[in-house]
Amino acid sequence: MSRIRRFFKTYSPFTRAGMQELVAYRANFICFFIGEIMSAFVMFFVWKAVFLSSGSETFMGFTMEDMVVYLFISFLTDYMTYSDGAFAVGEEIIDGSIAMRMIRPCSLEMCFLFQELGSRLVSAAMIFAPMVIGVEVYRFVITGALRFHIVSFLFYILSTMIAYMINFYFNVIYGFMAFFFKNLWGTSLMKETLVGFLSGGTIPLAFLPAGLAAVLNWLPFASLRYTPIMIYMGMYSTGEILWRMGLQVFWLLAMMGISKLVWNSAVKRLAIQGG
Amino acid sequence: MKRYMRLHRIFIVQYLKKLMEYKADFLLGAFGLLIAQAVQILFIGIIFSGIPDLKGFSFAEVLFIYGFSLIPKSIDHLFFDNLWMVGYRIVRKGDFDKYLTRPINTLYHVLVENFCVDAFGEMLTCILLLGYAIPRLHLPFYWYTIPLLLVTVIFATMIYTSLKIMTAAISFWTKASGHITHMLYMTNDFSKYPVTIYNKTVQTVITYVIPFAFTAYYPASYFLTGEYGLFCIGGTVIAGSVLFLIAIFVWNRGLRAYESAGS
Repeated sequence: MSRIRRFFKTYSPFTRAGMQELVAYRANFICFFIGEIMSAFVMFFVWKAVFLSSGSETFMGFTMEDMVVYLFISFLTDYMTYSDGAFAVGEEIIDGSIAMRMIRPCSLEMCFLFQELGSRLVSAAMIFAPMVIGVEVYRFVITGALRFHIVSFLFYILSTMIAYMINFYFNVIYGFMAFFFKNLWGTSLMKETLVGFLSGGTIPLAFLPAGLAAVLNWLPFASLRYTPIMIYMGMYSTGEILWRMGLQVFWLLAMMGISKLVWNSAVKRLAIQGG
Repeated sequence: MKRYMRLHRIFIVQYLKKLMEYKADFLLGAFGLLIAQAVQILFIGIIFSGIPDLKGFSFAEVLFIYGFSLIPKSIDHLFFDNLWMVGYRIVRKGDFDKYLTRPINTLYHVLVENFCVDAFGEMLTCILLLGYAIPRLHLPFYWYTIPLLLVTVIFATMIYTSLKIMTAAISFWTKASGHITHMLYMTNDFSKYPVTIYNKTVQTVITYVIPFAFTAYYPASYFLTGEYGLFCIGGTVIAGSVLFLIAIFVWNRGLRAYESAGS
């Protein structure tokens, strides 16, 4: 028990620092948020036009109401699971400041994780409730019935947390790769787009050809976004929720293992110039 | 003027030298943008597998508008990407002093200093899209179509660049304004699709407030149908010039307010 207490005592200052950082730059945060959510609204209008043009109530099994929930919950999940803290590892390796981190009596990735958790908590406080309420009010107005499901919602939160952890370790691995390339903007754009597509961010995986969708459902990317959204929408039965979340946990452990391996081999070769 | 042209050439040559040093990075950047666009087009393709047309627009027409929107966007991206750095970093770190000590116009210097080859990814997508769409459409063609296209593209690019100049100049007062540039710039997402799919509010905003609709849909629809030339092309010219004048004004006012961040 005391070990756990010590663990939190060591790392909670990082969380506080992360929170303070975001609060200090809240204008930036809000502007970025508005800029990003714009694309969700573009998609909203595109889908509205699609449903009008198709002349039927459903498009590949989704109603317009489903689609709106999908779009905005997908956006929210992406925002909540966003992780770039570990990306700094690559930059710190290049400029050598990683040496300072390595001599500290705490784990490198835990420092990054707890710092980022701080900023995630603040952004969750700012956007999570408004977006969920917005989506539910929209649903209520359209269908005239309360569709909010507390059990699905709790599973959604749990699943989103696992998704965040997977994304964190995925980005630790990517951060190590990225330090070989200097065009961080280009590679991260490519990564974001591909992950966005493979995780069902651009289009629900169910709309893709059956074979492709089946493969993508097994890959770690679906665990990042598609699984939580489907849980929120109540598309999965209880049994399905459990095994999907089991798959998420599996991918989380796999990502943790790979990041350890990459880190161990990188640390052996790490040479710091000057400092 | 001649001196400035010569300087621009020297800047680009310098930049290309830097580029040869990092070939892999250049390819990654351009490839990244290409992939980003390809995913969007795949999305349009999947949508069209379920519907015959999107509010009266055929697949080829939607791709034409989408491709057209990439022309001014990629040109602005290629030549004037450095403006992002003004709002994000240059002013905040005190590096802007450098421009003030040079014997050329500051805005000109900032604009031409960098040359963002990542934009070739967007340009390639644009060429592929228009190359696919144009043979499938019966576009009206007159002797003045090509010159008119050139004029439109210049003014449409000015809409992009002017918005970036304006928002970058805010950093002269606030030290950092990258997030404001980002917020306004992202509105261009709306211009990729026919504006008729949006509601009245959005249409008004992207036509009269942040006139991104004039960078793609309006001119593209003129070249598609040959109708409403005065509004579509004239609007682009007016929006481009007015925004550019405001941008120059804001930039110059900002320069007067500028205080170095020091170090």
